[in-house]
Amino acid sequence: MTKFNLSMITGALLASSAAFAQVTAITGATVHTATEQGTLNNATVLIEDGKIKAINPENVTASEIVRANGLVLTPGFIGSMNQLGLVEVGAVANSRDASDEKAGLDFDPSYAFNPRSSLIPYARKGGITQSVVSPINYDGSFQGLAFTANLSGEFDSVADKHTAFVIYLGAKSKGSRALAFQQFIEKLEGQKAKLAKKDDKKEGDKPSGEERVLSQLLNGEMPVVIHASRAADIAQIIKLKSEYGLDIIINGAADAVLLADELAKAEIPVIVSAVANLPSDFDAMHATLENAGKLEKAGVKVLLAIAGDSSHNLYQLRFDAGIAVSNGMSYDSAIKAVTSNVADAFDIKGGKIAVGQPADLVLWSADPFELSTKVEKMWINGEEVKTDSRHDKLRERYTTDSELPRAYTK
Amino acid sequence: MQKFAPSILVLALSAALAGCQDKGPQKEKVNIDKNPYPSTYKAMPSSATLITNATVLTGTGERLDNADVYIVDGKISQVGVDLNVQADTTVDAQGKWVTPGIIDVHSHLGAYPSPAVESHQDGNEMISPNTAQVWVEHSVWPQDPGFNRAREGGITTLQILPGSANLFGGRSVTLKNVPAHTMQGMKFPDAPYGLKMACGENPKRVYGGKGVAPYTRMGNMAGYRQAWIEATEYKLAWERYEQEYAAGMNPDAPKRDIRLDTLRGVLDGEILIHNHCYKAEEMAMMIDLGKEFNYHSGTFHHGIEAYKVADLLAQNGNCAALWPDWWGFKMEAYDMVQENVAIVDAVKNSCAVVHSDSDTTIQRLNQEAGKVMYTANQKGFNLKEQDAIKWITYNAAKSLGVSDKTGSIEQGKQADVVIWDKNPFSVYAKAEHVYIDGAKVYDRKDEKYQAVSDFMLGQR
Repeated sequence: MTKFNLSMITGALLASSAAFAQVTAITGATVHTATEQGTLNNATVLIEDGKIKAINPENVTASEIVRANGLVLTPGFIGSMNQLGLVEVGAVANSRDASDEKAGLDFDPSYAFNPRSSLIPYARKGGITQSVVSPINYDGSFQGLAFTANLSGEFDSVADKHTAFVIYLGAKSKGSRALAFQQFIEKLEGQKAKLAKKDDKKEGDKPSGEERVLSQLLNGEMPVVIHASRAADIAQIIKLKSEYGLDIIINGAADAVLLADELAKAEIPVIVSAVANLPSDFDAMHATLENAGKLEKAGVKVLLAIAGDSSHNLYQLRFDAGIAVSNGMSYDSAIKAVTSNVADAFDIKGGKIAVGQPADLVLWSADPFELSTKVEKMWINGEEVKTDSRHDKLRERYTTDSELPRAYTK
Repeated sequence: MQKFAPSILVLALSAALAGCQDKGPQKEKVNIDKNPYPSTYKAMPSSATLITNATVLTGTGERLDNADVYIVDGKISQVGVDLNVQADTTVDAQGKWVTPGIIDVHSHLGAYPSPAVESHQDGNEMISPNTAQVWVEHSVWPQDPGFNRAREGGITTLQILPGSANLFGGRSVTLKNVPAHTMQGMKFPDAPYGLKMACGENPKRVYGGKGVAPYTRMGNMAGYRQAWIEATEYKLAWERYEQEYAAGMNPDAPKRDIRLDTLRGVLDGEILIHNHCYKAEEMAMMIDLGKEFNYHSGTFHHGIEAYKVADLLAQNGNCAALWPDWWGFKMEAYDMVQENVAIVDAVKNSCAVVHSDSDTTIQRLNQEAGKVMYTANQKGFNLKEQDAIKWITYNAAKSLGVSDKTGSIEQGKQADVVIWDKNPFSVYAKAEHVYIDGAKVYDRKDEKYQAVSDFMLGQR
């Protein structure tokens, strides 16, 4: 049991000159940078204007010093492919905004993002500072656009509205997956033809939302996340990348181990669950706990995401990373799989402790993947945020003695 | 508390009537076979095994350091430091941890197996709110690869439950987690049956949505009460028959009804209630319902709000089988607290259980319990490994009515044992060896002891 370390005093020291901007120094931390720099021991990280200003500077001038005394500092973890902020209660229809039967290919659910959702402070308990939030449409193939939001709970927390286009090309309980492939290819071909004729077009013709999305895909300006698990489908997807120059990320990827070398060569990142080890259907006959490690060893960029209710359970991401490590993934790769690999694959900021990056940081009591570890402090864009949620209020209400009914304990 | 007690009067009246009518030689007595699908489970081969120098969590609240566990004839023979005994096999467990076999009181393996295809949806008989007549053992596919994955996570005993669409979902079955190609080959000998009941949102959504009762929570309660009235009458009719027959009369046996057989089994104390019930106010009413009809309200499963009624549960002897952190998938799962299990556990005479209801987390119930222990300790609890292990061993066995057989490392108990490579409450912990009735059923380092289901054979 790691106790709160009293020596980790947050000193509000006066800066030498009031004219200097607010600078926070985190000193004496074991820093997992999630970059080429690897892990730095007894390191100092300076935060200024919401960004990482310096790592191990020669002189530290700061208005606030957080003495980490060997605690672990990581980039804030980044969730992906969940519906955070788009759902409050799964079975409450009017609290769900991640799908609409009338939605087109350019469906943008970021308009519905609710930073005040109770899921957000709860997810912070797991050191999550940012998430790629995705639409989800169980009935159709074209899902719409994923966006990126930070977990500050502030109204301006959507950082990037068009992070990726999402499409489902896996097993279908009605109809054939072939049709989804065909329709996607036809749309790409159609847009490619339009782009080729662009010069002939009259000026002032505005492209439709769908056309804009397809153009961005064809120009490699926006990644496409493809839900697929079966190896045969993954083989088709690798071809799609070479034929259309798409920036592809595969989500699910249960049987990706069969094509690990090909995926590495094609530079296609995969988003996998570290705990998916059952043949949930005939697309997932090779799901094992070792897959994340095997893919990593083959050179595939691996991102970890939560399976199942990935919105309410997002805080568990760090435990999944630990499970990946205990089944063969290297520790550094597991850190990257929940930080910099997510940022790189989706081309978003954050996920790294490097100069100029947003100061999305988590200070942990110990190994962030271990069950006994907790968040000591965390920052989003340099601002300190708390991990308290209504769950804590409920616990306190029912564990506090009172002569009055519980409702009076607030 | 008013008991349901018109029985004596009814009995006396009807006995008198029947006695007048039935004369002549007695017909053959009608007996109900209570065990028509008996267990054929046989322990796998084993030899006298000595596990040495382990950190042993007994499941009874004790932790023994550098201790040995001696297994003979499938039973725990001795536990202690430096045992001086003869063994056929000695396992050096220096630096490792030994716990009782892990027990999951809430699983749908075999009934909702992998692959989760339409042909395999055998866990919920969603045709009527009362399907107490179905027995989930008749749905169990023993080739579900999930059984093997669960064993690799240390699961030695598990209860398979029908789903929660119905007020009365049917009978549960408790299995030994051994590979077998029949259900009977896994069936835990002499374990009591359970009856799955469900509160709250699921029954009213499934049936209310079809325009039939129950449409509301009050409709749920009416449905249970009506069923127990029927069951009480059925029980009385059979008891009357038995008594008259014993008295030398020649009564006609009551008409057999397998739905009512199960409910009567509850009233007779032979079948244990396992009640899907999330909310505090509903658990409190289900406890009263049991008192109204003279049965024990059993174990509450998924009790997201159990912490609100922790005192009541302990007073009434209810186990509460809980998740560490699932929440928010429906309104009745909104008020989750991560310390739920610890708050329930803190009351004297409590019975807190960590369960999975998942083919994934069943593989890591040790970690599920660990999450609770650490989170609660960060909030001022003082729980130790020897406490947390009870939630997935002894208390779980108690909930299933098998705590005299398994669930702890004590002399005479079935030798259901797990050797972990490290503290089992670490995210990195893995089960290295798993024993059921003293037989090694899993060895992480020896393929000989790694079972493969028929379904997976030749697929990779």
